[in-house]
Amino acid sequence: MEKPERKKEGERGGDVLDVKRSKGALTAFSYYPKKVHFVATDRQEKIVLILRRHPITNLTWGITALVMVLAPLALSYFTFVDTIPMNYQVVALLVWYMITLAFIIEEFLSWFFNVNIITDERVFDVDFVNLVYREITDANIDLIQDVTVRVGSVVRTMFNYGDVLIQTASEVPQIEFLAVPKPDKVALILRELRVEEEKEKLEGRVR
Amino acid sequence: MNLDIGWLGVQAWSLVEIFVLVGLTVYIIFAIVVVRQVNHMTNTLEVGFETPVRLAAWMHLFFAIGTFAVSLFIL
Repeated sequence: MEKPERKKEGERGGDVLDVKRSKGALTAFSYYPKKVHFVATDRQEKIVLILRRHPITNLTWGITALVMVLAPLALSYFTFVDTIPMNYQVVALLVWYMITLAFIIEEFLSWFFNVNIITDERVFDVDFVNLVYREITDANIDLIQDVTVRVGSVVRTMFNYGDVLIQTASEVPQIEFLAVPKPDKVALILRELRVEEEKEKLEGRVR
Repeated sequence: MNLDIGWLGVQAWSLVEIFVLVGLTVYIIFAIVVVRQVNHMTNTLEVGFETPVRLAAWMHLFFAIGTFAVSLFIL
């Protein structure tokens, strides 16, 4: 008799979730990512999902950065620039591009490090507010009381991204995953993990 | 252009020069903080894109130091 094939990680509930294991470090929806290490997780804890804001949300700062890069070209149309000594013009240009670089780095890092992590035990919200301030919040999966999906605009509907609001019974009453891709699937994954956690509790397999 | 502020006995551009150099010194300190913060964040979460991110932070610091050095020489 043929043995049923055991499902690997990332394929669990795949038929229900229709989610494949994601590749690439810069993806916004990374399901069972490989070679990922998050310092706040325990050894046995497995990272199920890493979420970032949908890439389309980078468009605003991308356009701003492009305008900043091209802005010095427009200065040649202003005559008052000629009244400034050449050496000061050079320094002003360098300072401008330094600020532009800082802006690009800050915006990219803000997207890259503002992650929401779901493990088989907890949910994490890593907020990288700016270059000098960050905050990490977590809640146990079994303390999740309610999950709300909010998709509220034409752009969000078109690109299938939105907010997932997680009400918890822990010290932090609400954890927000903002502008994440495939919010319905995120909610489904959370529901599966909660069911799994309940099963573990009933079977006495609680870590 | 030579703007004299007679009652202060200094030239306006000299004041600008001092402001630029002080501002850039503060900016270098900020760039160092950025490098430290990025190092800390890449240690917190490793996804396989740490080298380019760290490189960008270092590039930013070197750019700041370079701008300071250029300003020191040409102003």
